[in-house]
Amino acid sequence: MAAVEMRKLTVIGLNSGRAPFIYELMHLGVVEINSQDGIISDEETDWLPDIFRSSNSADVSRLEGDIIRVSTALEAISKYDPSKKPLLITRKEFGREEFIAYMNKVRTDTERNMDKAIAAYKVINDGKAEINHLRSLITGLQPWVKLDIPLEMNETEYVSVIHGLTGAKVQSGQLMAAVTESVPSAIVQEIGADKQQKYFSFIVLKEEKDGLYEALRPFGFSGINMADQQGTPTEAIHRYEKRIEEIEKTITENEKVLAELSPARKDIEYLYDLLVTQRDRARIVGEMLSTDTVFYFDGWMPAKAQDEVEELLKRYEFYYDIQVPDADEEVPILLHNSGVATPFEAVTNMYSLPSRKDIDPTTILAPFYFVFFGMMLSDAAYGIILSALCFFVLKKYKPEGTIYKMFKMFFYCGISTFIWGALFGGWFGDFFTVAGRTLFNKEISIDPIWFNPMDDPMKLLIFSLILGAIHLFVGMGVQAYMYFRDGKAVDAICDIILWYVLLIGLVLFGVGGMVAPVLTTVGKVMSIVGAGGILLTGGRKKKGIVGKVTGGLGALYGITSYLSDILSYSRLLALGLATGVVAQVINTLGSLAGGGVLGAILLTAALVFGTIFNLAINALGAFVHSCRLMYVEFFGKFYTGGGREFRPFARKTKYVKIMKDQDK
Amino acid sequence: MVESLFSGEFLALLGAATAALAGIGSAIGVGVAGEAAAGVVSEDPNKFGQVLLLQALPGTQGIYGLLIAFIIMVKVGLLGGDGMLELSVAQGASIFAAAVPIGLVGIFSGIAQGKAAASGIMLVGKKPSELAKGMLFAAMVETYAVLALLVSFLMLNSIQL
Repeated sequence: MAAVEMRKLTVIGLNSGRAPFIYELMHLGVVEINSQDGIISDEETDWLPDIFRSSNSADVSRLEGDIIRVSTALEAISKYDPSKKPLLITRKEFGREEFIAYMNKVRTDTERNMDKAIAAYKVINDGKAEINHLRSLITGLQPWVKLDIPLEMNETEYVSVIHGLTGAKVQSGQLMAAVTESVPSAIVQEIGADKQQKYFSFIVLKEEKDGLYEALRPFGFSGINMADQQGTPTEAIHRYEKRIEEIEKTITENEKVLAELSPARKDIEYLYDLLVTQRDRARIVGEMLSTDTVFYFDGWMPAKAQDEVEELLKRYEFYYDIQVPDADEEVPILLHNSGVATPFEAVTNMYSLPSRKDIDPTTILAPFYFVFFGMMLSDAAYGIILSALCFFVLKKYKPEGTIYKMFKMFFYCGISTFIWGALFGGWFGDFFTVAGRTLFNKEISIDPIWFNPMDDPMKLLIFSLILGAIHLFVGMGVQAYMYFRDGKAVDAICDIILWYVLLIGLVLFGVGGMVAPVLTTVGKVMSIVGAGGILLTGGRKKKGIVGKVTGGLGALYGITSYLSDILSYSRLLALGLATGVVAQVINTLGSLAGGGVLGAILLTAALVFGTIFNLAINALGAFVHSCRLMYVEFFGKFYTGGGREFRPFARKTKYVKIMKDQDK
Repeated sequence: MVESLFSGEFLALLGAATAALAGIGSAIGVGVAGEAAAGVVSEDPNKFGQVLLLQALPGTQGIYGLLIAFIIMVKVGLLGGDGMLELSVAQGASIFAAAVPIGLVGIFSGIAQGKAAASGIMLVGKKPSELAKGMLFAAMVETYAVLALLVSFLMLNSIQL
């Protein structure tokens, strides 16, 4: 339970051994390498002119280029891959040597397949672009289909051919009259018109061309040059359409090529991972400092990993130094919790990793999260469904990392939901009662093991608030523990223990009388002691009498926040009721058709769709509100967070999982 | 005419209707969040799942409203086979009063939560890893809808018919 202890590592090694060393280090995957950014630019290091940030940016960018090619090939193939895409990618497991051997074997073929895929993809994309271009040409030519002059003929020895258009409102007759008047030799032809434009074509003697333009000016005429196209418009359109057909055929052929390449996709994915790890190895060198003969880096590793790292460093005969970090040094955080609590790290992670001074809250948080989630969903059947779904995903796709933790966590939460559901008697709400009544005319009822919250909500409300109080007290206890740990016993007593006394006292004063009258008196005394203590000590860090008095009052006023914190747990009841009542609504709707076959069908349909809806919306609600109770009420009592995640230098593969040697 | 308006039965139904009005808040809230979500998805379609979660959050007020309306209808016998109970004006008015908290709070908290969810969606657009925080900001608003639901429910539960 807690963040893993870290060691600071400093290494100086020979450049000759660098490449294989980095390879081994990546395989271990337990050392985080600090960036040496900024170290070399310090002016103080000017006296060490031989040191430089080594970078093999040429290698990196070559590999980046390869990676882009592989990504393009993957994108191309997956676009036309007929097989269904899995929900989650399951990484294929390989031994290290096995993977290298496999990649050597398939590399040439894979490269060839990749080139094929990229070429086919290019043909498809180019073809699509050309089709678009041709389509726009065809649209442009459509108004001109009546023109019987080849487009490329825009002049002969004596005459010019001019095409162009005017606005649709221009009167053709007026235009023609104007043209014939000033240029009598011109031949005017109205080719067509649409809603926006009218299309004209003119044949005119070359020397009268300017006169024609002059005559057309009042009509807003603008010329179009289509001489770059061949044949009459009709011929051109026909030709383009044929060309489109041809291109479409090539595209289909190439799509088929890509679809046929889909079996090769696996190998291309592996190649992608191979290249990414190579790139990362090349890139990490840029984070180190070098001279002509040696290189230097520092970083972090978990104390547990010390032996294997030391063994590696000794094998390469590098100089190294391992130190326990100073108390106030910022250390990267890696969480390690045992067994059942591990998946709940996801909850901690979503908030913020613990800082070095914090306690990893995961283990304390896990049982409460488990209970709260179950209470808010509280339907036995839903719990079974949720757990079964998660179990299926875990077995089928073997997710890793955060996704694994989430599914595992919801698997546990499903169990909790089942337990609470059974306690409260919710099985798809009251489905079995409704089904029994409408379909079989029989009273079936599944009795709650504990009680039905619909019958006695006050009981559950009080239970929720008590749970909340326990949750808050545990949180305060953790803070007290942290105070004692840091040697601040006074703070622990003033800020936590006095509150314990006051709050417990108030509860006893309020309801203790029901158990034994003496408890009321005890409660009264405790409350007064607690409140008095808080009043006197709340301002102890303030200066001056006024500060101390207002500080004490302010601290005591904090009691309102305890009140609102505890009331916040009433959501445990409210959300639990929401699930139950929505399920009832669904069942009532389903029973509206009465008995018989039709009734059975409606009831089943309502059950299926209603359950999907209700489960989805209320599982989301239970998740969010359980998180909220952790983050706001619970963490507010002791947790600050803000730790930096430990990011070891390791393979970041998407498709393959290289096993460590001892795992095999 | 006036008597029928102030009959217990009518007031009880008015209560159920008032509770269901919480759906207004949800509709506006989910709508506002949906606009933001569409914007984010237009940049990166892969975020669809994440932003959908956030968009769903302001939807709960409508459900809470439905819930109270449903409980009222069951209570007055509208959904049973035996027909509606005879209610005194005082009983009907009490039921109406019990429905007001979730009806009113549902409308306003739904709208406010929609805005918070929309901002959360923007947050996810820029920093996908911060989904949980975006959800939390929206969930902070929902607390008050939950409290109103609780008040309505407890009031209803204590009304004797």
